[in-house]
Amino acid sequence: MTQLDVTEAAAGATVVRNQARVRRRKGLNGRSIAVLVFLTMCALFFCVPLYVVLTTSLKTMEEIRQGQIFALPETWTLEAWNFAWNDACSGITCEGLKVGFWNSVRILVPSLILSITLAMVTGYALALWEVKWAGTFLFLLFLCAFVPLQIIMFPLIAITRTMGVYGTIMGVAVVHSVMAMPVLTLIFRNFYKDIPREIMNAAIMDSGSFWKIFVEIILPMSGNILIVVLILQITNVWNDYLVGVTFGGFNTQPMTVNLANMVTVSTGTATYNVDMAAALLTAIPPLVIYFMVGKFFVAGITAGAIKG
Amino acid sequence: MTIRWTRIAPQIALTPAVAVTAVAFVGSILWTIYLSFTRSRRVPDYAIDWTEWSRQYDRLFQDAGWSTALWNLVTLGLGSALAIVFGFILAAMIDREKRGEALFRTVFLYPLAVSLIVTGVAWRWILNPTMGLEATLHRWGWEWVDFNWLAQGDTAMYAIILASIWQSSGFYMALMIAGLKSINSEIWSAARLDGVSLPRLYIEIIIPMMKFTFLTCAILLSLGVIKAYDIVLAMTNGGPGQSTWVPAYFVINALSQKQNLGYASAAAVMMLGITLLVFLPLVMLTAWQNGRREAR
Repeated sequence: MTQLDVTEAAAGATVVRNQARVRRRKGLNGRSIAVLVFLTMCALFFCVPLYVVLTTSLKTMEEIRQGQIFALPETWTLEAWNFAWNDACSGITCEGLKVGFWNSVRILVPSLILSITLAMVTGYALALWEVKWAGTFLFLLFLCAFVPLQIIMFPLIAITRTMGVYGTIMGVAVVHSVMAMPVLTLIFRNFYKDIPREIMNAAIMDSGSFWKIFVEIILPMSGNILIVVLILQITNVWNDYLVGVTFGGFNTQPMTVNLANMVTVSTGTATYNVDMAAALLTAIPPLVIYFMVGKFFVAGITAGAIKG
Repeated sequence: MTIRWTRIAPQIALTPAVAVTAVAFVGSILWTIYLSFTRSRRVPDYAIDWTEWSRQYDRLFQDAGWSTALWNLVTLGLGSALAIVFGFILAAMIDREKRGEALFRTVFLYPLAVSLIVTGVAWRWILNPTMGLEATLHRWGWEWVDFNWLAQGDTAMYAIILASIWQSSGFYMALMIAGLKSINSEIWSAARLDGVSLPRLYIEIIIPMMKFTFLTCAILLSLGVIKAYDIVLAMTNGGPGQSTWVPAYFVINALSQKQNLGYASAAAVMMLGITLLVFLPLVMLTAWQNGRREAR
């Protein structure tokens, strides 16, 4: 019986594969070409801003003033990149984007540790342990996940001020963790709830301890979801502007705030090559992650969007 | 003893999350609602004058900036909805034509990885009238094109919409591809056997089958539009004048520029109201889907 099943399945698989091959061998017909041409044109439209920003950042200002936005640079120069990183002015300080870059990194690390630990433990407790009010709490989290920051902004400022972290790196990280908690908890909970009941029962019989099960059984199973959440949270925190500008102090603002100040409050003549280099520098970290582990990125944003 | 621990340990583990929810979300929302009835200016003033408790709201509804913000919210929502349409077209094409699927997906989705501030900076440069796209096209002899959208109040919103579509189309494409993949593959062959034309197949069968994917996209889009702040700030900073104000911008402006806490709170409460308005269908949709899943 099992033997038969296997052969049948194998035969089915071969048929499917053959069909696929037939379909592929059919080659390019008119419709396929039209679709591919359309998709390629859309892809070009999506790439144009990146191309323009990149080439502009490599030009000199004289060349930019000629108004040939699509032309390649005549003289390639990294001068604008160097200036954006080291010397560009943001507000009254002129130390370049590197200040904001390191602030962003320093915000990122504690906010990742805080938010992921909290969301993981909460998700685990809600999914696998009997808590009477779990349903109500999950619904509440679901509501909180969509609350815009503006609605709780002033209370959060007042609370962080009382805690003494307003305007510090830690303050920004804490607010990030608070804002991310509902969505991340829901993601973890949805992942953990599919763990078979038997595993949990056996584990409870075996040791019974909440934390021991978490460390010995649940953590080793969480590799994939951890990467997804990590990437989701890294891009969220890195790309955030509002939390950084509201809760960051004078010299603890993240890179995006630094960039926005640099671009809008530029004194004298605008230097577009520096602006574009600064924009690219800010965009590079999330883009590198995206091009390296895009699959997890997509999983993260769709999970965050639908479950959140 | 062990039995009792299995009950208590999870509750202890949940305490921080409950505390955060109670203080930072529930408590803070109530706090803001309370403040919206007060006359707080720069610092909170907790006295409520009950004879005119609604004064902040009365002022808000008479404020031209607020009605501009609401109109822009609608414009931005309707304009960005094109991203869903565009996303669906891309998804359908990628799903039918398997060639190059990975490449196209990667290209269409990369703008989402970038900060909206970066997106805004990039598009503002492209739309620069003297050195950007317009200047280039004029050099090519297309003197009639006008891309100086950001400088004019009645077109500045379109520039923001364009940048939003560029940013988010890939996201809706990803959701749509997931939706298309879940459709039973037999439908394609059945339709081919019946000789149904491709456009009819999509309009009459596929799109109705994907109505929940569309609804999810629409709700996510609305929630995103309500939160839209970064892109407005980076592209126009609300200008020219007040022409690109949106509620999210209005609240921040009332809080940090006008330093009027009561007024900002009232506007924030209205934002919460709009969020709930959009949110209710999502709750109902989720409940309905869960019910359907359990019925199976």
